Formats: sequence, C-alpha cells, structure tokens
Amino acid sequence: MKALLIDDERLARNELRRLLAEFPGVKVAGEAANAKQAREQMAALKPDLLFVDVQMPGETGMELLESLEPPVPHVIFTTAYDEFAVKAFELNALDYLLKPVDPARLACAVGRITGPKARPRPAASDRLDGKDKVFVREGERCWFVEVGQIRLLESEGNYTRVHFGDAQPQLFRSLNAMEERLDPRHFFRANRRQIINTAWIAGIEPWFSSGLLVQLKGGAKVELSRRQAQEFRERMSL
Amino acid sequence: MEVSADISLPSGDAAKRERAKMRLYVLFQAGGWGAFLGLEVWSVLAFPEHDSLWSLETTIAIAVMGYSVGLLVTHCLRPLMARWGWKELGWRSLVPRLAGMALAAAAVWRGLEIVWIHGVLGLPWNTRYSLPMVVIMEVLYTAVLISGWLCLYFFYHLFERLNRSEIERFQLMSSVKEAELRALKSQVNPHFIFNSLNSLRALIDEDPARARLAVTQLANLLRYSLQSGQLETVPFEDELDVVNDYLALEQVRHEERLRLRLDIGPDVSRLPIPPMLLQTLVENAVKYGISTRSEGGEIAIIARNEGGALRIQVTNPGEVARGARGTSTGVGLHNAAERLRLIFGEAATLRLRSDHPAQVVAEAVIPIAVRT
Repeated sequence: MKALLIDDERLARNELRRLLAEFPGVKVAGEAANAKQAREQMAALKPDLLFVDVQMPGETGMELLESLEPPVPHVIFTTAYDEFAVKAFELNALDYLLKPVDPARLACAVGRITGPKARPRPAASDRLDGKDKVFVREGERCWFVEVGQIRLLESEGNYTRVHFGDAQPQLFRSLNAMEERLDPRHFFRANRRQIINTAWIAGIEPWFSSGLLVQLKGGAKVELSRRQAQEFRERMSL
Repeated sequence: MEVSADISLPSGDAAKRERAKMRLYVLFQAGGWGAFLGLEVWSVLAFPEHDSLWSLETTIAIAVMGYSVGLLVTHCLRPLMARWGWKELGWRSLVPRLAGMALAAAAVWRGLEIVWIHGVLGLPWNTRYSLPMVVIMEVLYTAVLISGWLCLYFFYHLFERLNRSEIERFQLMSSVKEAELRALKSQVNPHFIFNSLNSLRALIDEDPARARLAVTQLANLLRYSLQSGQLETVPFEDELDVVNDYLALEQVRHEERLRLRLDIGPDVSRLPIPPMLLQTLVENAVKYGISTRSEGGEIAIIARNEGGALRIQVTNPGEVARGARGTSTGVGLHNAAERLRLIFGEAATLRLRSDHPAQVVAEAVIPIAVRT
C-alpha cells in the first residue's frame, strides 16, 4: 500500500516516516509540504493512503481533501491540538492521529485500512463504485461517505446537497458533474434537480400525467416526470 | 486597532435608577411633610387653645396651607441645587451656602404665609407677640426645619455616591481578575506545545545535541509562563530571553521559513513590561506571518527607549485582518492591551497597524517611571 505524507514540517514528516517503517504493509512513496505539492504527488504516485496534517499554510488539509476528485484514497488526519477538528473527527469516526503520534494508535489506524476486512483500492475508473468514498465537509463537520450510503443528491446551483444517514451536507460540485461520476446501474436522474439511489427505494406509486412518485427509505419523496418515468421503467424492467 | 476597556452600566439600568430615585423623593416629600402636618393637627385637636381667635377649622386649614407651601418651597430647591452644581461641592463651601439657602427659603415661606393669612384672608392677629418678633422666630424655626430637609437630601446623595464608587471599584477589580485568569489560560498555545514535542521527537534521532537544547528551551518557556503570571511586571531582558527560547523552538519547526531580526536598544534591558506581553506579540507574528505562508518570512523585534517611553515593535509579513477583534488574535491582543492599561494607565498603548503593504506591525508603547 503506497502512502503519501502531507505536512508542512519536515521533522513531522520524518517522524511519521520513521514510525511507518514498522509497518511492512505500508510503503511511504512520497512527501508533500503543502496542498499544491500534494496534488502533484498524488497525480504522479497514485497513493492508496494519505496522511494529512490539518493545519498547513495556504490550503488546510480539509480544503485539500474537498478539492480532490472522488474517489478519495484512504485518509488519516494528523493534528497537534485542534479542538474543532478533533470534534469533527470524533463525531464521524474518521481516522485521526494526535501529534506526537502514539505508535499503538498508529497501528490501530493503519490496521483498520490494511486489515483483513479492508479492501484494496479499486483500479481507478471514471465511475464511482458503491464502496468508494467521497469527502464532504460542512462548517466544522466532515464525513467520508461511501457512495452506496447516499440516498439522494439534490442540485443547489453549483453545489449538490447529499443525503445520507442523518446528514445532508453540501458538496462543492454540480449535480451534472456528480451524475457523470455515478454508476448508472445504481443512480437514476429522476428530474432536473434530483438523482436517487435505486437501492434505497422503499415504494413507487403512479403519479399525475403518467409520472411516478418514488418514496425513499428515510422518508424523501421524489417525482418522476412522464419521460423520466418511462426511462425508469425501461431501465428497471428485467 | 485601538483596544480600550469601558466600564459603564447599560442605559436601561440608568433610566431605571432615575425612576427609582424619583419615587423615593416623592415618598419622602409626601411622608415627611404629611407627618409634620399630622402631628400639628393632632396637637390642635388634643390640646385646643380656648383663647384662640381662630376657629378649629381655620387653624387646621392654615396648617394644611403652611405645610403645602413648605412642600412647594423645598420642591423648588431641588432643581436650583442641581443647576448650581452643589452636589459636586466640598463641605467647606457647601455648608455656608446651605445655611443661606435655608434662611432665604424660610423667609419666602413665612413671608408668603403671613401675607396670605393677614393680608389676603384678613384673619385677626392671633398672638401676643409683635410682628417683627413673630417673623424672626418663625423664620429661624423654619430655617432649622429646611436645614433638616437639606441634610437628609445631601446625606442621601453622599451615600449614593459612596455606593456607586464602591460598585465601580468592584467592577474594576473583577475585570483585573478576569484579565489575569485569561492571561493564565492563554499563556502558551497548546497547538505550539504539541507540535514542538512532535518535532522534538524527530530531532532526538536526527540531531541529539539540538534536541537536548530544545528540551531546555521548552522547559524555560513553560516555567516562565507558569510563574510570571503572579508578577505585575518583569524586566524587558527576562522576557526577551524567553522569547528567544520560544523563537528557537519555532525555528526547529519552521526551519528556514522563519527568519529573525533583533534590534534592541542598549538602555531597555531593565525597563519593566507586563509578563507575556512581548511573547503574545511574537506568537501572533509567527501564527499569522509564518505558519500561514508557505514561503515563510522575517519577524523583527525592535525595542527602543524613546523620550520617556519604551517602544516595542514586532513586525511580520501579512496584512491586518479586518475584524481581527473577534478572532483569537483579537482576543489575545485585547487581553494584552487591557493588562497594559491596568498596570501603566491610559498612557500605555497597544496598536496593530500596517505601515507598508504586506507588513504588519504590532506596537506597544509603555511610559517609563510614571507608574500608577
């Protein structure tokens, strides 16, 4: 598994490199001191795992992740003492390490990714797989959400509101851009404003003028126009 | 940015206090004069003078009229005293004025009464004393009464002023304590401590000698920040030593991104400054001038003894953030400014400004020797 270390302090990167030397499953492929270098290194090295410092000059670690095209590699955040960031991580069980890094904590975080249940990163394809993760942040909270857990995507101008679990944060991408990346076998463009995950459909009723009304698990109701309803029937019929 | 602290009550409270004062005044006026009137009526009824030329009803009506005039006359004294600013006078100048006023008011009161009773109503002269004798006795007696009224009035104001200055003293004390507490809490940024420990661990393998030095520097910084909170001021050189330790640790982290320039005048080393003042300015400079910039930059510390004041300047690359007050810098600088003011008085200032584009200067000016 190839790892990229992203931290503005050379000594901090060295320390992490030294700690990671204990893990035969992880090979440090490169280092970056800021977000710009990180993007260049990611394009060149295609790492499977990122160690990202939250506090960096210029773009922060969060902003870097937000700007990445999904799917995002596995990410482990590192931070010295950042109350807000730690709270955001704890809420959503993202992996984070506090500096100076406790080797046992590092083993735990790495084990979660390289362990028996972990899945190697799929070959990069244009379409997002259900298991691929998307990084979403809103205010002080952030999530790594599996694409399969997303029930509904709604257009809000140049942004997209993503519904999963109890949360519905905004993603800095247009609905059209998301549609191009989603797997059409699972995601269906219901109308101009909404894309639904067909795996989350709870019920379907006939609606006005040969349309359909789809009810999703979790309560949302989505209307399909006559044309979209027809395409839906064709797509979903055996 | 000019930072200053303001201690005053909100205007809603002031209006409420005014209304309460007015109520108290009306209560005292009505109660006081009413009591005198009641006493007199009671004495007229209980011990009737059988040789009086006036009927009982007339006597009572005259008493009611007399005290109404009293109420009116004393009521007019209040705005007069307020207009002449007597509440601000010392007692030496106040006492003769009050005596004069009591006599004058008594003369007005009794003069009105006599003219009304004998001139307008034409009631018969009801005493065996002559007119000048009656006037002198009545005026003196009334002057004593009005003096009592004035004493009550000024005692009330005296106590009120004492109370208010007490409250202000408490407010000041509590704001001093609060500033101390905040200073204690914000002495060393935990983000810095943990980042330093992390770099230090890397340094142990890479450069053991420097790692040992860094441990000493971190210990110095922590000890100073824990102990200096109890001191009101420290010599400039003591603070500068610790700031140098701090900057050495920041240089371990930021390496070539942090460059330093020190320009310290020869005669500033013993001058007193509040503990952690220079440290706060330098920490801010690193936080906003170095940590947020990939290319880093230069931090300059300039200290001069200039015309009876110590002028400390800390510069860093960057721009003065708008609305810096709400951010953590705003809070840190605000605390430092408040502390400066409490120790050195209004002449001490702390400002954040931008002389050149892309450079921020934090400047503290501390008066020498005129400590309050």
